[in-house]
Amino acid sequence: MDVVIIDGLSYALPLLCIAIGGIYSERSGVTNLALEGLLGAGAFIGALFVAFFGGYFPTGSLPLMFIAMACAMVGGALYAMLHGLLCVKFRANQVISGVVINILAMAITVFLTRQINSTLFKSSDKIQLGVSPRFDVPWLSKIPIIGAVFKSVYPFEVIIVAVVAIMWYILYRTRFGMRLRACGDNPHAVDSAGLSVQRTRFAAVMISGALTGLGGISFAYSISANFSSSIYTGAGYLAIAALIFGNWKIIPTVGACLLFGLARSGGYRLANVLALPSSFSDLIMILPYVLTLLVLIFFSGTNRAPRALGEIYDKGKR
Amino acid sequence: MKKRPHIFTRLLGDSKLQPFVIPVFSVVCSLAAASIVLLIIGRNPLIAFRSILQGAGLLPRGSYSAGKGMLTDLLNTLSALTPMIFAALGVTVAFKAGLFNIGVSGQMLFAGYIASVTIGYSDLPAYAARPLVLLIGFACGALIGALIGLLKHRFNINEVVSSIMINYILQYVIGFFILTRHIDPVSRQSVAVSAAARLVPQSVHYGTLKGDLPLCILLAIIVAFILRFVINRTRYGFDLLAVGANPKAARYAGIRVGSTVVTSMTLSGALAGLAGVTHYLGYYNSIQPKSLTSVGFDSIAVSLLGNGNPVGVLFSSLLVTVIDKGSTYMSSMVKVEREIAAVITGLILLFSACGAYFKYLAERNQLAATGEPANSEKKDDGEGDA
Repeated sequence: MDVVIIDGLSYALPLLCIAIGGIYSERSGVTNLALEGLLGAGAFIGALFVAFFGGYFPTGSLPLMFIAMACAMVGGALYAMLHGLLCVKFRANQVISGVVINILAMAITVFLTRQINSTLFKSSDKIQLGVSPRFDVPWLSKIPIIGAVFKSVYPFEVIIVAVVAIMWYILYRTRFGMRLRACGDNPHAVDSAGLSVQRTRFAAVMISGALTGLGGISFAYSISANFSSSIYTGAGYLAIAALIFGNWKIIPTVGACLLFGLARSGGYRLANVLALPSSFSDLIMILPYVLTLLVLIFFSGTNRAPRALGEIYDKGKR
Repeated sequence: MKKRPHIFTRLLGDSKLQPFVIPVFSVVCSLAAASIVLLIIGRNPLIAFRSILQGAGLLPRGSYSAGKGMLTDLLNTLSALTPMIFAALGVTVAFKAGLFNIGVSGQMLFAGYIASVTIGYSDLPAYAARPLVLLIGFACGALIGALIGLLKHRFNINEVVSSIMINYILQYVIGFFILTRHIDPVSRQSVAVSAAARLVPQSVHYGTLKGDLPLCILLAIIVAFILRFVINRTRYGFDLLAVGANPKAARYAGIRVGSTVVTSMTLSGALAGLAGVTHYLGYYNSIQPKSLTSVGFDSIAVSLLGNGNPVGVLFSSLLVTVIDKGSTYMSSMVKVEREIAAVITGLILLFSACGAYFKYLAERNQLAATGEPANSEKKDDGEGDA
């Protein structure tokens, strides 16, 4: 049981971080299918920092990891500017832009990883990061059952929880958050209040990139332990499903991500307990996806996307 | 007040030429960007581009091994081109109805797998097996497409989300069946299908050379023209475009939006199914378990580059396939990682995604030059394409 919770949380929290990135962008009215690409681009910049400056830090040092995370956030935000530029300034179709950003991110990061590795480090096609150290929260982890939440926690999980709380506060309790949400539902109202729809949307897309980058580097530091093309496992798309399932609201999305994470780790555990051959674990891998589809069939009738989602803002339009 | 039109306007402003000029402009921009990347890492871009063409069989190479020639490379490119055309046409049909079929890869995999299991592993003679493979591919793809369309119509599930979920489910379930039943222990792929069922006969003699015989490329080209006719000249095509442009207006006009959504997704899936069989039982003869082909994702881009025009798709498919096929040879010639091909393709897409903006800019410049007031209707034109 403990294993299910520990593994479930370490998958669900980065996913949640990415999904909240998606919520920021979509609540401002910019469809964001680019999460997968932003995740990779952010993680790549973080990994690049480790590749160049990792030597100056002792192995497994926490400061290095935190700086890498900051780099990933900056990298994600910078790469997201491209999506913002295409969608907000260049009036591109937002769905197409998202797909293009994904394809380009995969191409560029994989190409650069290989090229940099082969010319500078004479090594393989991945940047080694190692697995982040874990810790137990002193006395909370002793509580039966619930204690598992505080057992062998990755440092990034704590950071993500804090970030999510801050992001919730910004979106629902600040003036900026209100304007951002208004941009997604009624951009003309924002415009008539004398604010720039374009600027707010651009900021939202950049925040989205930063959060997604953080989620990406967390995956790189836990599941894959390196940066390579294996980072693109579709977590970005799963995050999109989670946020739609969560009806573009943060609290329900937390539930959706936890469901995905726990269904995944629970499935693995089940295969383990029943001592099934490894090929059966592939069948169990479909659990989160089947769950999503079923849940969507029952709940999507009441789902309501932001009203102006996917529309290019045009001042003259009524 | 009369100003001389800006060079940009003169190039891109002609609305009749725009469907050709904007994609070409995007390609030129991206090749320029790729050249800069190549120059930065100290390679000659001209040699790189020439070796792409050589690798894809459009220019003769320096030397060939016995039994191979430019024709061999070209035929190989054509057999890789076939699935790309079908897949991109599938994406285009969905785009026309305002739908986004990101599940092409999953539909391809499903069609390829079912066709392999039913016909590929049977001992039917070629004249029976090949048409059956195409038929099964068509039907299987249509089935998945219809499912996505129904989920959208009946349950209001965004087609992007449902097709992504279905992609994963198919990938893992089919991977499971391949790994447990049809695995070839040596290649770690599914067992190869029979030569009679394979849509691309191998090692056919052409004089002294040997090469593939890409049978279905003609079918792909014919389908593209049929599709153009259906979209531009039939009532169904008009319904499709109306639903894509504005579903509410289409409903007021008495068009059955729901059934149009389902049928367009079904047709899109069926074309993806044809792509699947020409990929897994044509270009290849086996399926790699637990992976989706990149053709499905590239086809979205190809369709975009082809400006949503089925005949344009033929050209954009050729371009992307040539870059992809030629990249291996280029990688060995100029010592650069072959992933740069994907970067070039990605850049082409990036610039073509800006197509609407180029159009908008050109129109604005034109209006400024002729001194007419800009009107907002003109501005909106750019958005309707996708």
